[in-house]
Amino acid sequence: MKIESLKFEGVSFSHDAQDPVVQNVDFDFPMNEILWVKAEEGAGKSTLLQILGGLQIPQSGKFLINGENVVDMSFEEFLPYRLQIGYSFDYGGLINNRTLRDNLMLPLLYHKTVPAKEAKARVEELINLFDLSKFAEERPAHVPGRVRKLACLMRSVVMRPQMLLLDDPSVGLGQDSVYTFVDHLHQLRKDGFLNHVFISSYDEKFMSLMSYQIIHLDEGQLYFQAVDPEKRVVHL
Amino acid sequence: MDSLLSQIDSLGRFVTKNVEYTLRVLLMVYLSVRATVLDQAQGFRQIVGVISAQIYFTGWQALPLVTVLALGTGGVLILQSLSNLTLLGGTQMIGNFLLVMVLREAGPLLVALVVIARSGTAVASELGNMRANREIEALESMGINPLSFIVFPRVIGGVISVLCLAFYFNFMALIGGFVITRLIQDMSFAFYSDSLMRAFAKEDVLIFLLKNGFSGMIIFVVCCYQGLSVKKSPHEVPQVTTQAVVNSIIFVVMFNLIVTALFYINQLRSLGVV
Repeated sequence: MKIESLKFEGVSFSHDAQDPVVQNVDFDFPMNEILWVKAEEGAGKSTLLQILGGLQIPQSGKFLINGENVVDMSFEEFLPYRLQIGYSFDYGGLINNRTLRDNLMLPLLYHKTVPAKEAKARVEELINLFDLSKFAEERPAHVPGRVRKLACLMRSVVMRPQMLLLDDPSVGLGQDSVYTFVDHLHQLRKDGFLNHVFISSYDEKFMSLMSYQIIHLDEGQLYFQAVDPEKRVVHL
Repeated sequence: MDSLLSQIDSLGRFVTKNVEYTLRVLLMVYLSVRATVLDQAQGFRQIVGVISAQIYFTGWQALPLVTVLALGTGGVLILQSLSNLTLLGGTQMIGNFLLVMVLREAGPLLVALVVIARSGTAVASELGNMRANREIEALESMGINPLSFIVFPRVIGGVISVLCLAFYFNFMALIGGFVITRLIQDMSFAFYSDSLMRAFAKEDVLIFLLKNGFSGMIIFVVCCYQGLSVKKSPHEVPQVTTQAVVNSIIFVVMFNLIVTALFYINQLRSLGVV
């Protein structure tokens, strides 16, 4: 299932008794871009990414993927899209009773999208690339936070999805890991995967490693800001 | 008048709250069965893996505790019934008395309490921690339905474990209890077993399956529901675990009471009393 368009039509969402994260938003998301989602602290960047990943359902309005309303879909109906969306959490998210290797293998083996042998090879390649062999057979609680974060990022790309949602991806990572991850991200994009990337981050240094466009989330509304990749001059 | 109205009001709230809770739990059961049926990716091996792990933790690891409990309960009940029935001159009734006490009443309740204390708490806190650690969201983000991946196999594994434990409890209480009693009281095994066999009826099988099967289901469904009700913070985990124990005990006791009452009424009807 190819993701060709993402659109909000009158979308509203708020957590219990809190200010709305998005309120009656109409927005056509730019495709085939790396989009930096910017907002003030606590404005709801993570929630916005969760809505885009189908992990939160808007309380009103339509969230359209390829013109189909996600709000009306059951878990099973949304599954073909879900398999094309990778999601990395800002904290947590690894399955605690499985080793890091099993965490990475889980989506591949569960959905049998690739043969078991290929899944194993793909995970091994990632583990070697990020130099995590030492921790591969450990459970998340037994490894440093940096490794947990890295494993969570690796799992979000292991299925080679079309769309990637990264919530504060650089927090807790070492500089080497950041460079390796960004290189891998660029490589996968070059290979035709991760076409649409959404990143919520405060880390300008991390974001400067890629050419991006900006989406502002401000007082429940979304605004697009085009950025010249060469000059990094903002065109309002 | 005001106090009467406020009492009716609070009673209404209590009833509504409990009915809503029951409906939510039942909805979760429906959704997990539906998800398991519709989930084409989840293989049979994966479900069996989780079910067998649950049987191992809930059933197998509880055997030492259930053994001690069954021998103790069986021994005490046999000793008490033997001495009291001898005084009343009704020793032949020992089989009927023990079957009613052990198989129909004490067995299902005690096994349910052991399972709630050991496994219900474990399941509620495990799922609560998974929720707080965002593992449930992570499963969803990977296209794995937590209801079919986590809830369904745990409930099935729990029901099988409770049935097996209850069977083992009854066996140990009736036979093991007798063997222990034999050391201090003189009673022939032939007389004892004959009395039990004469008392055994097909309703006992029905009661055994009904009480233990549904108790297992109630315990694991309630504990899974409570575990999944954690919103974000780990501090909620002990709270939902306590609530899971309280709710499971209330539901199991209520269910046992209703089944016993129905069978009692049925028995009276068959005797022509009502």
